[in-house]
Amino acid sequence: MYRLWYYLRETVLSIWRNLSLTLAAILTVAVSLGLVGASLMIREGAERATAQFQEGVEFIVFMNPDADLDQDAAIRHVLDTSPTIESYDYIDKAAAYDEFETLFADKPELVESVTPDVMPPSYRIVPTDRSAANVNELARQFSAQPGVREVATATEAIRQIDDFSTRVSQALLIAAVVLVGVSALLILNTVFTAIGARRQEIEVMKLVGATNWFIRIPFMLEGTIHGLIGAALAIPALFVVDNEVLAFFQESDAVPLFRGFAVPDGYVWDTSIWLLILGGAVGMVGSAIAVTRYLDV
Amino acid sequence: MIRLEGVSKVYKGSVTALREVSAEIQRGEFVFLVGPSGSGKSTFIRLLNREEVADSGRIMVAGKDIGALRSWKVPYLRREIGYIFQDYKLLNKKTVAENVAFGLEVIGRPRNVIRKQVPAILELVGLSTKAERFPDELSGGEQQRVSIARAFVNRPLILLADEPTGNLDPSTSVGIMRLLDRINRSGTTVVMATHDRGIVDTMRRRVIELDRGVVVRDESRGVYE
Repeated sequence: MYRLWYYLRETVLSIWRNLSLTLAAILTVAVSLGLVGASLMIREGAERATAQFQEGVEFIVFMNPDADLDQDAAIRHVLDTSPTIESYDYIDKAAAYDEFETLFADKPELVESVTPDVMPPSYRIVPTDRSAANVNELARQFSAQPGVREVATATEAIRQIDDFSTRVSQALLIAAVVLVGVSALLILNTVFTAIGARRQEIEVMKLVGATNWFIRIPFMLEGTIHGLIGAALAIPALFVVDNEVLAFFQESDAVPLFRGFAVPDGYVWDTSIWLLILGGAVGMVGSAIAVTRYLDV
Repeated sequence: MIRLEGVSKVYKGSVTALREVSAEIQRGEFVFLVGPSGSGKSTFIRLLNREEVADSGRIMVAGKDIGALRSWKVPYLRREIGYIFQDYKLLNKKTVAENVAFGLEVIGRPRNVIRKQVPAILELVGLSTKAERFPDELSGGEQQRVSIARAFVNRPLILLADEPTGNLDPSTSVGIMRLLDRINRSGTTVVMATHDRGIVDTMRRRVIELDRGVVVRDESRGVYE
């Protein structure tokens, strides 16, 4: 108990003495982890936006919610017999509603405004020939069938979203990796300065027989705290990305598929926890390097 | 208590500090290390505390071959050894009592032990009334007493002293030597490097003289030269 108190006291004192460098280290951690988080969320948003088009699905035939059984059977017959169709999945009203619920989990008012009854059932179709020309031709044929509400082809929209999200999230991630490196170095330097400021004390501690770990722990704690505080500051940025940036895409009409560009609140919290772990780890590694390089017997 | 067998130490730039030094110091002895500057006195002391490692030969301290000691065990060796310096090495931001307590705190002694031992040791060195002063409010002799208190508060087996009276005037030095003598009489082995002819000649204890890294004289009840 006394030892714990000793570690805490020494750590807080050291941070206080070294405030300007400490703030620089903490803010760098915050910015870099904010970028890591933004990158993860944009990637996740894109994956959710394009979820319907995973695993080779090239186009989706949406039926009218009130299409009758004959119309449905006709479509199904074409799908079952045509050699141009490799496979398909039928998403009934209930399944469509479930998916809608997941995609818009953070917009309960939107979910409440619909019922399974009004959801259009759909066929997700994998054609044998996936060229754009063929897919467009098939889509044209299906949209002419009775009972079909619309046909969504993957090619254009998916390509746009994939392109956009991959580029943005990769750019952010590269910047983030560089900055994470910079923050580890800054923490290393801050801890090194803290060690310098206490050189005399450390000398005495070694002489009277304090163990290496006893000397190291306050400094490692200090670095870890820098990382954790930085990560904590980055978390609000995640909510800003969620509420402002992703929301902007959802509301834009330029690309209809962006409407699915959302992450559930749970994902934002999960990401926050990862950022805290990452921040703590960066701080611990930075300070561990500092103490092993400058503190040996 | 301390045994050196053919110990040599060469610093970078091929300065030979000690050459084939052998000596044995019994428990409870008081030993002066004398010799001109650069003769290897400080190296002798630093080797015993494992601040330096010998290049060859064997050093036994308190029954341990300290050349073979794993580095994580070195702190535990140092808890058996008190160490005082010419420049005291006190922490100026801590009071006298805090400086002494610091030596116990950082080796994990419980607080109730610290609360008991610090006043007792300050009493022993004659600084009870100055416990709440800061080092820069004290005279040189008083500061050295604080450093002795810090070195001895953990009741080490051995007390190493590197020119402890080097910065003090003769009358103050006498007081410090009385204190070291008292500590020695309680059973602690004392090894003290010094230039102070007056002290060595008055005390008449064992004298080991070093010259350019070699032991040139070792006599009990010796004088400076």
